[in-house]
Amino acid sequence: MFRSAWEWYLQRVTGGLLIVLLAAHFWVEHFMTAQLRSGNLTYEAILARISNPAWQAIDIAFLIIALYHGLNGLRNIILDYGRLERRGVAVLNIALVLVGAVWAWWGIMAFSRL
Amino acid sequence: MKLYLRQAVRKYRWQYSGMVAWFIQRATGLLLLFYLFLHVETISKLSQGPVAFDAAMATFSSPLFKLLEIALLGTVVLHALNGIRITLVDLDIGMKKQRHLFWWVTVGIGILVFLAGAIPIFLDAVLKV
Amino acid sequence: MELNITLRVSRHPARNGKAFDEFQVKLEEKMSVLDALFRVQREQDSSLGFRCSCRVGMCGTCAVYVNRIPRLACSTLVKSLESDVVTIEPLPHYPIVKDVAVSLEPFFEQWRRAKPAFRPRNPDSAELARIPKDSKYRLLTPTKRDCITCGACFAACSIVGMNDHYLGPAAINKAFLRILDPRDAAREERVKILDRSLDGVWRCHTQFNCTAACPRNIDVTDSIVRIKRALLWPGRLLKP
Repeated sequence: MFRSAWEWYLQRVTGGLLIVLLAAHFWVEHFMTAQLRSGNLTYEAILARISNPAWQAIDIAFLIIALYHGLNGLRNIILDYGRLERRGVAVLNIALVLVGAVWAWWGIMAFSRL
Repeated sequence: MKLYLRQAVRKYRWQYSGMVAWFIQRATGLLLLFYLFLHVETISKLSQGPVAFDAAMATFSSPLFKLLEIALLGTVVLHALNGIRITLVDLDIGMKKQRHLFWWVTVGIGILVFLAGAIPIFLDAVLKV
Repeated sequence: MELNITLRVSRHPARNGKAFDEFQVKLEEKMSVLDALFRVQREQDSSLGFRCSCRVGMCGTCAVYVNRIPRLACSTLVKSLESDVVTIEPLPHYPIVKDVAVSLEPFFEQWRRAKPAFRPRNPDSAELARIPKDSKYRLLTPTKRDCITCGACFAACSIVGMNDHYLGPAAINKAFLRILDPRDAAREERVKILDRSLDGVWRCHTQFNCTAACPRNIDVTDSIVRIKRALLWPGRLLKP
């Protein structure tokens, strides 16, 4: 695992990245055209975008960054309560890494059969 | 008694705005993590083909879900702007002005960004003008 | 015109089944909360328990919750509260001794853990230490070394409230001062304690409650954030 200082630092860095990625994501999926604004995000529209490997890479990176930021945030909340000992923290770390890995796999697999 | 209450509210709002900000950050963070779960769940329908995915999308284009989407935008904006405030404080920028940062950057700019995003969705998808 | 204020004082153990007692006190110009408590103790209820020592805001004994905000009773003028009801409670996060007097033991337990005592690098040196006037130690300490260990920050910190092991603002501020001191020899030990992810500086989420509560206006949160930044490269910090 990272040292605490780097976890703290990465939480800020990923947060900054997420703001940029999220703004782009909102724009592309919800605001860019009148059709999107009225809420008609169709399979074809996503397929047209996701067939570009650059978009695939961006989306996968987005998911992994969001998962790191979210799960590390959850870890911080749990640590704040001070109920865990050293071994408890180790178990928590492993559990969160596993949850993150499964979660990321689940998201990435959605694109696999397109 | 009324005076005491008014004073407590005033003092809390001002003296403890950092704590209010922390609570908002924590609550919105947990909501967003839960939303990420729902979002990946929806995205995973892509692999079941166009029919399943477009059926899910049809549900989400109903006015109720559009209102929830506006609420999501508000949650994201609060979390993001407050995150910027926290990062600025961590970088020793605006340390002495952190209360102003909270009320003007997080809440003030937050409302503007929220309205800028929420009004188009509301007009196009909820009222369908 | 004679003005009366109502002093609502928390009682521990509860008296006659009531957790609060109300007293009417004549408001006087320049009357502090501590003056009001003394007035009640002398004239109305001699069993009222509270702590104080110096009465001029330099010993840190009389910190209490005044209208839900940790303050020094001796340095808070009743008039400045702009309220006709003044509620006095013991500080939270501490075991209560009697009425509004608490034991600061949890505070000093963490204080000791941060190794507050100065440990000289050269104990036998007869030379006077030179602190350059533009050094970080010289520039930062004047605002940060005024701590009177009143425990107000510890009571205001919501992380202390949820985590029994957290060092707390005052102890971290003290350790920060010692680390800055170029003559200090226990730097490495202190850094190790501050860097602990379960109860060190990483549990602070910059709520600024400690800074708001400090009666000596120490920017405690600033000290904590400075340590966090320094811990990214502790090697640099450990150089004398």
